[in-house]
Amino acid sequence: MKCQNFIPVLSRRQLLQTSACGFGNVALASLLHQQAQAEKRNTIVESQIHPKPRAKRIIFLFMWGGPSQVDLFDPKPTLNKESGKPLSGKSVGSPRSQLGKVLASPFKFNQYGEGGVWISELFPHLSKHADKMCVVNSLHTNGTAHGEALLRLHTGNANLVRPSVGSWISYGLGSESENLPAFITVSPPRGHGGVQNYGSAFLPAIHQGMAIGSAETPIAKAKIPNLKNNRLDKSLQKSQLDFIQSLNRAHLKKLQKDRQVEGLIENYELAFNMQSTMPDIMDINQESQSILDLYGVGKKPTDNFARQCLLARKLAERGVRYIQVSTDYTWDTHQKNKAGHITESAKVDQPISALLTDLQQRGLLEDTLVLWGGEFGRTPTAENGDGRNHHPQVFSVWMAGGGVKGGFTYGTTDDFGYFPVENPVHMHDLHATLLHILGIDHLKLTYRHKGRDFRLTDVFGNVATDILA
Amino acid sequence: MSARAPHPLKTKFCFFIILSWMGLFSLSENLANEEKSSQSEGVAPNPADPIRGKEHWAFKPLLYSSPPPVQDSSWPQSPLDHFIQSKREEHNLPTLKDTDKRTLIRRATFQLWGLPPTEYLIERFEKDKRPEAFEAIVDELLASPHFGERWGRHWLDLARYADSNGLDENFLFREAWRYRNWVIQAINDDLPFDRFILEQIAGDLLPFEKVEQRDRQRIASGFMVMGPKVLLGNNPNNQKMEIADEQLETIGKAILGQSLGCARCHDHKFDPIPTQDYYALAGILTSTEVMERRFMLGQQRVMERLVGLGKNGDTLDSEYEKYYRERPQLISQQKQAQTAYDLLKKDEKAFQEHAKKHSSKSIAPLSLDSKLKKEERLQAQKKLLDQLKHRVKNPPPIPPRAMIPQDRSKPQDESIRLAGQFNKLGKKVPRGFLQVIGQGDYKIPDDESGRVELARWLCDSKNGAGQLAARVLANRIWYHLIGRGLVRTVDNFGRTGEAPSHPELLDYLAQQLIKSGWSMKSLVKEIVLSRTFRLSSEEHSEADGYDPDNVYLWRAHRRRLDPESIRDTLLMISGKLDLKPLDSSVWYLGDQATAVGANTNRRRTNFPNRSVYLPVIRNDLPEIFDIFDYTDPHNTTGQRPHTLVASQGLYFLNADEVFKISETIAKDKLKSPQESSSSDLVESFYLQIFNQAPSKEEKIQLSSFVQKTLQHFESQGHSNPQLGAWTLACQALIASSRFQILE
Repeated sequence: MKCQNFIPVLSRRQLLQTSACGFGNVALASLLHQQAQAEKRNTIVESQIHPKPRAKRIIFLFMWGGPSQVDLFDPKPTLNKESGKPLSGKSVGSPRSQLGKVLASPFKFNQYGEGGVWISELFPHLSKHADKMCVVNSLHTNGTAHGEALLRLHTGNANLVRPSVGSWISYGLGSESENLPAFITVSPPRGHGGVQNYGSAFLPAIHQGMAIGSAETPIAKAKIPNLKNNRLDKSLQKSQLDFIQSLNRAHLKKLQKDRQVEGLIENYELAFNMQSTMPDIMDINQESQSILDLYGVGKKPTDNFARQCLLARKLAERGVRYIQVSTDYTWDTHQKNKAGHITESAKVDQPISALLTDLQQRGLLEDTLVLWGGEFGRTPTAENGDGRNHHPQVFSVWMAGGGVKGGFTYGTTDDFGYFPVENPVHMHDLHATLLHILGIDHLKLTYRHKGRDFRLTDVFGNVATDILA
Repeated sequence: MSARAPHPLKTKFCFFIILSWMGLFSLSENLANEEKSSQSEGVAPNPADPIRGKEHWAFKPLLYSSPPPVQDSSWPQSPLDHFIQSKREEHNLPTLKDTDKRTLIRRATFQLWGLPPTEYLIERFEKDKRPEAFEAIVDELLASPHFGERWGRHWLDLARYADSNGLDENFLFREAWRYRNWVIQAINDDLPFDRFILEQIAGDLLPFEKVEQRDRQRIASGFMVMGPKVLLGNNPNNQKMEIADEQLETIGKAILGQSLGCARCHDHKFDPIPTQDYYALAGILTSTEVMERRFMLGQQRVMERLVGLGKNGDTLDSEYEKYYRERPQLISQQKQAQTAYDLLKKDEKAFQEHAKKHSSKSIAPLSLDSKLKKEERLQAQKKLLDQLKHRVKNPPPIPPRAMIPQDRSKPQDESIRLAGQFNKLGKKVPRGFLQVIGQGDYKIPDDESGRVELARWLCDSKNGAGQLAARVLANRIWYHLIGRGLVRTVDNFGRTGEAPSHPELLDYLAQQLIKSGWSMKSLVKEIVLSRTFRLSSEEHSEADGYDPDNVYLWRAHRRRLDPESIRDTLLMISGKLDLKPLDSSVWYLGDQATAVGANTNRRRTNFPNRSVYLPVIRNDLPEIFDIFDYTDPHNTTGQRPHTLVASQGLYFLNADEVFKISETIAKDKLKSPQESSSSDLVESFYLQIFNQAPSKEEKIQLSSFVQKTLQHFESQGHSNPQLGAWTLACQALIASSRFQILE
C-alpha cells in the first residue's frame, strides 16, 4: 500500500514525463494508485487501444447560443415554399400536433468545391475551404435549454458532474508540451455550467482545462490570474524565489523526506518559468502583419475572434491537445434571426478561414482536427415572428483537417430540417468519433471513481466511421 | 439513432461490458484484486445479494474488544493508544517521540479551529506544567464557536452545501446560508449526531413547541433541498427521479459510506444493494417535494422550495410571490396609465377610446368624470399613475425564508425504473431501507413519505444502520484529526473501498460514539487527548522503509493547509480577520449567480470574515478555493483532493492579497519599538508566521536576504526601502513550505 496523498516528485523532468503536466496543474496530483494506473495506461494507450491515430489535437470552435443549421449548412427549400404556414407535427413525425409556423431562410446557399458542400452566403471565406470540410447535418443531442445542452456537449452529461471532453483527452494522451497543459480553453462561458464545461471532475486536477479569459471579456484584455508580478523586476523576483527555495530546501532537509515539500519546490520553479512562457504565447504582436491581416486582427467585426483563432494556432503549434475557442453568448437568435446570423457570421467567418489556411501552411492541418459547432441548432419554425427557438432534435457541425473526409457531407434531415433521417449522429457518437480520431477507443478510456468505471460516452456512443478519411 | 433512447439491454449489461474490457485494460488490476477478495468472501455469484452481503466487514455488528495489551506499556495514555501501539508492535515498528509543545498546540488549533495559535496561547501552554495543561486548552478550543466553523465545514462538504444551483442554470440559493449557520451552531451545541441527521432529513416533519424551534428544524431540513438540479427543459418526471438519485447518493455516501446510486439502473455490481432497495429508498424521496413553482426573471419556473420563517412567514412569503407574479401586469398598467395621462392632456377623444379599451386599474375613475375640471381629472389620473409607479419601483422586501422540503400530499411507493429510465416502469416496491441491514421494526405510515423513519433507521444502532453510520462517522473524525482514515476510502465502505487498517480500533471508536449519545465533541476530544495525536512527524528511515505510508502511525502525518486555513491565517496574522460570523454573503447578487450574456453578476470575496462564510457559488468559487483544493460543492465529499499545481505557486508569488498582507505585517513590525534590531525582527516574523523561533542560521539567512533587497531598493530610489525589503521577506516566509505544511 502506498501513500495516497501525494505523488513522489523526484525531478522536474520525471515529473513532466509522468504526468503530462503543465500550467495550472503541475503534476500534482492526486492519488498515487491513480498515477500508477495512468503510467500503465499511457503505455497501453500508445500500443494497444487503437492502432491508428488520425490526428494529434483538436481545435473546437464553439458557437455559444446555437447557430441555425437551416440558415448555414443544411438548405431546406421547403421552408421557403411553406413559409408562414403552420408546421404540423405529423409532417415530420413529431408527437406534438403543432410545431409553429415555418420560417423561410433568407439566405442563399451554394455548393462549393469538388465535393459540392452546401454553404450559405454567410460564410464566403469559409466556402473556399469546402473541400477540407466534412459537414455533419444529422447531429442531435438532449437538452432544450442552453445549460443542459452545453453540459452535454462538453461533458456528455448534465445532471452529474463529469470530466470535460478535453480532460478525457488530456487523461488519455497527456500533453505534448512541457510548459503547457494538454487542455486549454480560450474565452469559456461563465454561465450554463461554467467551469464544469472544462473541469476535470473526478479525473486528477492536471487534466482540468486552463482557462484564458472568459466569454464576456475581449481576449485582448484576458488575464491569467497571478501570472504577472506587478511590483518586482525579474532579477529581484528571482532573488526572492531563490530565498523561498532555500527555505524550502532547508525544511526538506530537516524533515529528511517529504513529498509535499519536494512537490512544492518543483512547483515554484515551474510557476516562475511560466511567468515568461505564457505572456510570450499570449502576445500576438510577434506575428507578421500579413498573418494578422489574414485573420482580421485589428478590424471590426473580426478582431476578437481573429485573436482567439490566432491564439488557438499558437497553442496547437506548441502541442496542446485540446483547444477550445468560444464566442460570447451571441448566437441565441430568438428574435431577428436574420440580422443575428449576419452579424455573428461576419465576426467568425474570416478568422476561421484564416485558421484553416494558416494551419495548412504550417503543415499542422494534417494532424489537427478543427471542429465547429454550437450546443444545439435552431427551429425551422418561427419564434417571436422573426426568430428561431432552440433545436436539439437535429443540427449541423463541421470538421476539417486530420482524420476526416474533406468535401464531404454526412447525414440528412427531413424536408423541414426538423429531425435527422439518414445516419443520425448523437452527441455521444460525436464524442466517440473525436476520441477515435485521436487514436483512443472510447470504450476503453475509463477511470475508476468511487467504485465505478466511468467513460466519456457513459454506456453509449458509436464511432461515425463513414466520415473518417 | 444510436443514443437518443438507450437500449435497456445495453444499459443493463453495461457493467459486464466494462468488466470484460477491464481484462484488456490497465485499470483491471484493482478490480481483479477486488474480485479475488470478493471470492474469498464467497460472494462472487451475486454481489448484490443482501444475505451474503452481511458478511462484508462494514455490515457486520460492531465487535467489542478491550484495548489490547502491549509490550511497552509506558507509551499508551488512552485506550485508543493501545490499539495503535499493539499494531505497531505487531509490525515491529518503533514508537517515536512526542512532538514539542509548540507544534502540538499549532496542530490542535488548526485541527479544531482552522486557525494558528496566538503567541499568548502558546506561552500560556508552555508555562503550564500541569499534566492536564493540554486538556484545559483542548476544552477551551472545543467550547469556542470557532470549533463549529471548522467542523461544521467538514459536514458542509458532505452536505454539498452551496449558495447556488450550479449545473445548467446557476440560480442563486439566496437562503442557503441559514442552513450553513444551522450546521455551525449544531456542531457548536454538540447536537447528538443521530438528532443532527434526523433534523436534516426530516426536520420539517418533527413536532415543535415554539415557532423558533419549528424554524430551526425546518432550516436543518434544507439538507434535502440543497442538491444541484437540471432546471430548464427537464421533464418533471425525470427531474423527480434525478432529485431522488442525488439525495440518495448524498445520504448513502455521507452517512453510510455506500454508493447507492449504482443500483439505479441495475443491481449493484459490487455491493449488496439490489435495485429493489434503491427504489424502496427512492420512494421515500420521491414522496418528498423539494421544488415549487415560482415567478422569477420574468417567467414561471420550477425552483427550490422556499417557506417563510417566523410567525407570519407564510403571509409575507405569499405577498412577495404575489407581487412578482403580478408585476408584469403592474408594469403594463403603469404604461397604460401613462398613455392615458398623456392623451388626456391633449386629445379628449383619443383618451376616451383608450380608456374604453383598457382596464379600470390603469384609468382613474375621476379622470373620466366629465363634470370635473380638466385639471382635476388630470390630477386624479396622475395620482393613480404615481401609485402604480411607486408599486413598480418598490417591491416588497424579500421576506425571511428558508429552503424546506415537504411531504407530497399523496406519498407513494416507487416503481423500479428499467435500466434507470424514468419512463420505463417495472414493478412497484414498498418504501423501505437496505435489506442487507434490515428493516428493524420500522413501519412507514401510508400518509407520510417515511423520511422520519429513514432518518431514525440510519442512526439506530440496534434496529437500523446505526453501527455502520457510527463506523463511518468515527472514521471521518479520525481522518480529519490524524490525516488518514482507518478506512482510507472515507466515503466508500463498500467492497471497492479499502478495509480498515485497525478494525478493532474503528469498532472501538464507533462504540465510544454510540455510548456517548453520539457526541461528536467527545470523540474529537478523546482522539486529540490521545498520545497518538501528540506524535512527532519526524522521519525514521527503518520505519519508513517498512511502512512508507505510515499506515501504522509510527509518526504523525504531515498535511498541507486547506484554502480556508490559508486565507484565515493570512488575515489573522495581518490583524485583518473579523471573527464575527456572517449571515448571507450573497445578498447583493441577482437571481442568476454567474454571468450569462448581459448579466455580469459576480460573487464577492472581500469579506474580512472567516472563509466558511464566503459565497459558495457552484462553478464560480472564490479563487483561493479553486486554487487550493476546495471541495466541488456539486457532490458530497468526505476527502478533498490533494494537488500541487503551478497556480498555487503563482498565487504565493504574485497574488495581490499575499503582497498586501505581507506589507501590513511588515509595517506593523517595523513600527514596534521593541523589535528594533534585525535579529529581533526576524524572530518576531518567525513566531508570527511559523509559531517557531528561528535558528541562528535562519536568522542570518533572512537578515542577509533583507540586506540584499534593501540595497537593491535603495539603489532604485524606492520610497521606503526598509518596508519594501521586509515585505518581500515576509512574503517569502508565507510562501515557504513551513507555513503551508502542518507538521
